[in-house]
Amino acid sequence: MTRGEMLDFVQRVLDAVPVEHAVAELGEERSASVRFGRNAITQNVDTFRRELRLWIGDGSRKTEYRTHRIDTAAIQDMVREAVARLRNSPPDPEYVPPADGGQIYRTVDAWDESTGGIDPGPRMDAAASAVSAAEAAGAEAAGISRMDSSRRALATSTGNLCFHEATAGIFQLTVLAGSGSSYRSTVSKAWSAIPVRRIVDEVVAEALSARNPADSQPGEIDVVLEPQAVADLVSFVLYSLNARESDEGLTVFTGREGSRVASERFTLESDMNGEVPGTPFDRDGFAADDQVWIESGVLRTMMRDRFWAGKTGLPAVVSPGCFSVPGGEGTAADLAAQSRRCLRIRRFWYIRFVDQKTLTLTGMTRDGVFLCENGSVTPVKDFRWNWKPLELFSRIEALGTPERKGFMTVPPMLLRSIPV
Amino acid sequence: MRELAAFAVSELAASGVEYGDARVEDRAVESMTFRGMRLEDAVDSTSEGVGVRAIVNGCWGFASSTGLDREAVSTAVERAVRIAASGAGKTGSRVRLSAQTPRMGSYSSPCIEDPFGVDKSEKMGLLEECSRIMNSDSAITSTYAQLHSERIDRVLASTEGTLVESHLIHTQPFLQAFAVHGGDAQSRSLQTGARAAGWEWIRENDLLAASERVRDEAIEKVMAPEGPSGVMDLVLDGLNLSLTMHESVGHATESDRALGWEANMAGRTFVRLSDPGSLRYGSDIVNFTADNTMPIGLASWGWDDDGTPCQKWHTVRNGIFQEFGTVRETALLVGRDASRGCCRAQDFGFFPINRQPNFYLEPSLEPVTPDDLISGIARGIFIQGRGSFSIDQNRVNFQFGGDFFREIRDGKLGGPLKKVLYGARTTEFWGACDGIADARFFQPMGLLTCGKGEPMQGARMTHGASPARFRGITVGGGVR
Repeated sequence: MTRGEMLDFVQRVLDAVPVEHAVAELGEERSASVRFGRNAITQNVDTFRRELRLWIGDGSRKTEYRTHRIDTAAIQDMVREAVARLRNSPPDPEYVPPADGGQIYRTVDAWDESTGGIDPGPRMDAAASAVSAAEAAGAEAAGISRMDSSRRALATSTGNLCFHEATAGIFQLTVLAGSGSSYRSTVSKAWSAIPVRRIVDEVVAEALSARNPADSQPGEIDVVLEPQAVADLVSFVLYSLNARESDEGLTVFTGREGSRVASERFTLESDMNGEVPGTPFDRDGFAADDQVWIESGVLRTMMRDRFWAGKTGLPAVVSPGCFSVPGGEGTAADLAAQSRRCLRIRRFWYIRFVDQKTLTLTGMTRDGVFLCENGSVTPVKDFRWNWKPLELFSRIEALGTPERKGFMTVPPMLLRSIPV
Repeated sequence: MRELAAFAVSELAASGVEYGDARVEDRAVESMTFRGMRLEDAVDSTSEGVGVRAIVNGCWGFASSTGLDREAVSTAVERAVRIAASGAGKTGSRVRLSAQTPRMGSYSSPCIEDPFGVDKSEKMGLLEECSRIMNSDSAITSTYAQLHSERIDRVLASTEGTLVESHLIHTQPFLQAFAVHGGDAQSRSLQTGARAAGWEWIRENDLLAASERVRDEAIEKVMAPEGPSGVMDLVLDGLNLSLTMHESVGHATESDRALGWEANMAGRTFVRLSDPGSLRYGSDIVNFTADNTMPIGLASWGWDDDGTPCQKWHTVRNGIFQEFGTVRETALLVGRDASRGCCRAQDFGFFPINRQPNFYLEPSLEPVTPDDLISGIARGIFIQGRGSFSIDQNRVNFQFGGDFFREIRDGKLGGPLKKVLYGARTTEFWGACDGIADARFFQPMGLLTCGKGEPMQGARMTHGASPARFRGITVGGGVR
């Protein structure tokens, strides 16, 4: 459907709703990917979903209905079904109507026309390039080349009407070379911005250099986290930035707004028009905006839904879907050179909360750990760790150049004296 | 749905593919969640669409679309064939499927009382009462009470002549209470999981009694001392073991991991292609049975997404690894003639991949009670339910927690503990199992959300065990 058709459809749904409050959202998602493993294509897919979400409320009760049956002629049936469900709903003591009318939405350019065309050629060429380079090096490639597009139209009974569309090109590559491996995940709104050939060459070379790792030794040591490893940890900090759960005593941030929670070198913010494009509105039609969550180590704000905002007298804060940790200059290797002896870690795997209250995590290293000492770089084996990321981010000695990793941009970090 | 599946297959055949199949699905989900005393979410959704696979010149193509009409089917067929053709010959490898006799039939999961037929007001009343019970103590600051029901109707047809139907009902209750005390917060949950069953599974859980237990044990837990560190013996209940076996046995014995297909995401496995019949996975009393025919099992569909009939086999017998779980494409690559029927997708919108079957730890054939296991321990911990869990990508090094812990001293259960972690290496851990309770104490546990693959997709399966004893396990972290 075109943008105009999608907006017209959600408006028609709203027009048919006989109760006071409603939000109609129509979404389309197309995702196409080539997956490869052990130097062979294992998947080659092109999927499409279109879904209508209808939320209705009468001032005290609410309900939500979702369907794939998108048909203008069936709107009355859908609305009748939703209204019948509403009658069975109990009063909601936390009832909040859709976002007030007159929301001002940020303009975010998240669409790349070429990527949105979902052409299979570049995906297959990228996979073939990785496989042939790995085979030539006597290694095995696994990964995915993927193009996604999504489009959302949303209308509220309070008078808001909004549309957002986004594309993403994603190239992930793992190369296995005997006991060595390496990994890279690259995301951009434009597939054409992903330097496939350079990534393939780097990852193959890194995997070869990671062969025959030595045992890692327990003790305190400087650690350089590559951007992927930083992103893996920051996502758990984001998960804990929940104002209500903090007020209920359940997170590490309870009672700490305005207090220092990390090094002054650590800032966590959202820039709607940064390298990761933001999402201009939430599911209620509430406008998202730039935020500073942690500023120079001090906790400034958390995500706060509109009910909790009303209850606490503080502003509502929604996730804009994009996050960044500002950095400095240089690569992870440059940071490692600033330490006499350090471990450089490429990424983590299977991170889980050990204790949500103290934000204690466990996880494993994966696809590259190196002991860097007096100019030499030696691969070492993966190890399990139990760390508190805010303690790690309190020991930042230096930051490198940020890179996009998924929905955030983060720099490599040099951390002093970390127990491993 | 049968007509649309047949139409898709006829379109595939007309396009000249080497192989093609179509899954036509219609799903309904009803989910209600109380947070505190409030109905936070009440979602009804329907989902319908088609997923089409095609092999052209040895290369897969898959396309899917929402909607159940001929236009959606034709578009999916055209896209699947086109992208399959675009990939043919690009890497020098060709897809080969193990032989499968075409099947026809219909499978329905057991359901005594249709959960979609139970009045919503009864469900909301039940959840509201559960929430009232859990929140009746001021030490509880946050609670969740949830009911989740799914109806899945699916038709699979292939160009080989398979035409099968599955009609499944899956139901899950969930309760959780958070207690805060002395600057700490701890939770306790009802974790009996999902089951291929109707509303009778909700009744069997006695949610009102469970709400009292969850509330009281959350408070006991937050006030308890932290658990000890060191090497000691453990008794783990069936719910705790369900996750430990899922991570350290189920994923480790998936054939696609052994082949390296998941190396970029879910990871590989320490189990080698040459290990069936020889690798010692656990002690002599450790027997893992895979069973996609168990009626309550979430992976019991009648036929998998390859059209292979669901089966029962030994993954580990008398401590020795027997066989990988396979799909038609991997069976030949791991030296088998036929698939074990482990090919499943989250829904019509996903390419089906190698998933874990239902599988469980066989209980003791001799009479053994949990007390018998505990009586043989001088110093240890009894762990119930699931908590923190993490394992390396080769499925060797793991660290698990639990949901409720009690000290064991001189053969008897003591008071509650909190913040207990145990860690081990997979084969050493299962090798340390020296006692399993009998079938009277068996607890199945159905998982709805096992994530794997790219794009990430969920899968469901059922595990289970009776309480079992493990000697000399490292507690408190520290396994590198």
